[in-house]
Amino acid sequence: MLELRNVSAAYGQHLALQGIDLTVHEGEMVVMLGANGAGKSTLLSVIAGQVPARRGSGVSMAGIDLLGLLPHRVVEAGVALVPEGRGIFGAMTVRENLLLGAYPKRARAEERCSLARVMTLFPKLEERLGQVAGTMSGGEQQMVAIGRALMSAPRLLLLDEPSLGLSPLMAGELFKALERIREIDVSVLFVEQNARKSLAIADRGYLIENGTVVGEGTAAALLADDSVQQAYLGVAKRA
Amino acid sequence: MAFLDALLNGLTLGGMYALVAMGLTLQYGVARIMNLSYGEFLIAAAFAAYWLFQVQAINPLLALLLVVPVAFAANWLIYQIMLHPLVKRSRNRGELEVNSILATFGLLFVIQGLVLLLFGSNYFSYTYISNVFIVAGSPLAADRLLAVAVAVVMGSGLYLLLMRTRPGTALRAVSVDPRAAQLAGIDVRAASAMAFALGGGLVAASGVLVSMFTTFNASMGVVFTMKALIVVIMGGAGHLLGALTAGLILGLVESFVAVYVAPGLTLAATFALFLIVLLVRPTGMMGRAGA
Ligand SMILES: Nc1ncnc2c1ncn2[C@@H]1O[C@H](COP(=O)(O)OP(=O)(O)O)[C@@H](O)[C@H]1O
Ligand SMILES: [Mg+2]
Repeated sequence: MLELRNVSAAYGQHLALQGIDLTVHEGEMVVMLGANGAGKSTLLSVIAGQVPARRGSGVSMAGIDLLGLLPHRVVEAGVALVPEGRGIFGAMTVRENLLLGAYPKRARAEERCSLARVMTLFPKLEERLGQVAGTMSGGEQQMVAIGRALMSAPRLLLLDEPSLGLSPLMAGELFKALERIREIDVSVLFVEQNARKSLAIADRGYLIENGTVVGEGTAAALLADDSVQQAYLGVAKRA
Repeated sequence: MAFLDALLNGLTLGGMYALVAMGLTLQYGVARIMNLSYGEFLIAAAFAAYWLFQVQAINPLLALLLVVPVAFAANWLIYQIMLHPLVKRSRNRGELEVNSILATFGLLFVIQGLVLLLFGSNYFSYTYISNVFIVAGSPLAADRLLAVAVAVVMGSGLYLLLMRTRPGTALRAVSVDPRAAQLAGIDVRAASAMAFALGGGLVAASGVLVSMFTTFNASMGVVFTMKALIVVIMGGAGHLLGALTAGLILGLVESFVAVYVAPGLTLAATFALFLIVLLVRPTGMMGRAGA
């Protein structure tokens, strides 16, 4: 469904992505692992239309060419990004944040349905609808952010380090919620530092280093891979 | 009844300042354009109302229905044609501020020049309603009261529009965080153009209302720009209730200083107030937040 072919991007002279190939199939949950500065956030920004790709790159979603579209058009094409740092509106209430998520034309007719879906996914938000989002805990704010993205009726959800800064307890809850996103027929491409937890819920994964894909495979294969265990799972090298 | 005089005068003056500043806070807070030609639109609208009243015998309330849509459309076009290229070119907010100050400084002279050409540099005024009410012994001009009543209706309408409707919420979202707003599917360019045009419509409405009870000339625009700027900065950019509060405070301070200190010191008092706010709360009384 999402197809990236030979995607490159640069900040001025600095080449942040070089020739990335990546695919997310319908209904799939795919994780990107990689060190800080590898280019994972840049890749999500390219898909979302916030960072331009270089010539020769290809990004398409269900056959629609996403390259060159403004960010709000990408949302209309069914791709919603929850950026690192969440991108919610702290001075607005949870309800306002969620309803704002349904701003795209594709989402308006389904607003009530989407809201009900978000409430089943994050029951905690239901009693907090009137609360000002900025006064919530980090984990709750992340739920608002994901809920806001789901309100746009996306077919693909992009998440940039959703568990960043959350307590282990909250992170656990978040991963459980992510698992359930499958049930509502939304595909997910997400970036995570917590390789063990994310490979446990993902179908497939990509390893990103210095702006290129250095490995890919099913989650099970990556979990079992020696180099993945050393680099991302903190398993000591066997003598 | 000097006290009551000053209070009534201050409240009506402050109400007008608040309305004038609400438009600027939309242009600056949402569209991120620091518009130095803002007051020229007010004066142009005041002259339009004058001309419609004296020459065409159209009363100022009907004039609103003509002048406001024209100003809205003109400001929308100005944003799309002249200001959006600056937005695209500027790499950050600071750069856009400098660019927009320079561009709208030029626009100021264009509009002022046109008004001067059409009307010359004399002072103008007209009398729409000459009744005077006596409120607890203090005189209150009916035209002034009417202007403030219309201002209150428009200000509340704008407030409800921003707080209760989906497009209004989108404007607030752009004001707080344009990047996050894009990700929520909001067309930031369209929202900015809308906010800039709304601000232009609002300042034109203010111009028509002000023309009902004051004397004006072609070069007075800058005074309104300055006062609106002071109110916006005091209230916090993009903050409607902040603009309302700061506008009322400014009106009251000016009015009381004129009555109890010296009429010549009102402008000095305005700036003193401005300095105090900047020193105590540099982000404005209500901070920088969405509406
Ligand atoms: N806005 C930016 N301007 C310039 N360089 C950037 C910018 N954002 C990221 N970079 C650089 O691009 C590279 C990739 O960054 P990023 O995509 O944020 O990596 P990751 O998300 O994997 O940590 C890094 O070297 C980073 O310093
Ligand atoms: Mg990152």
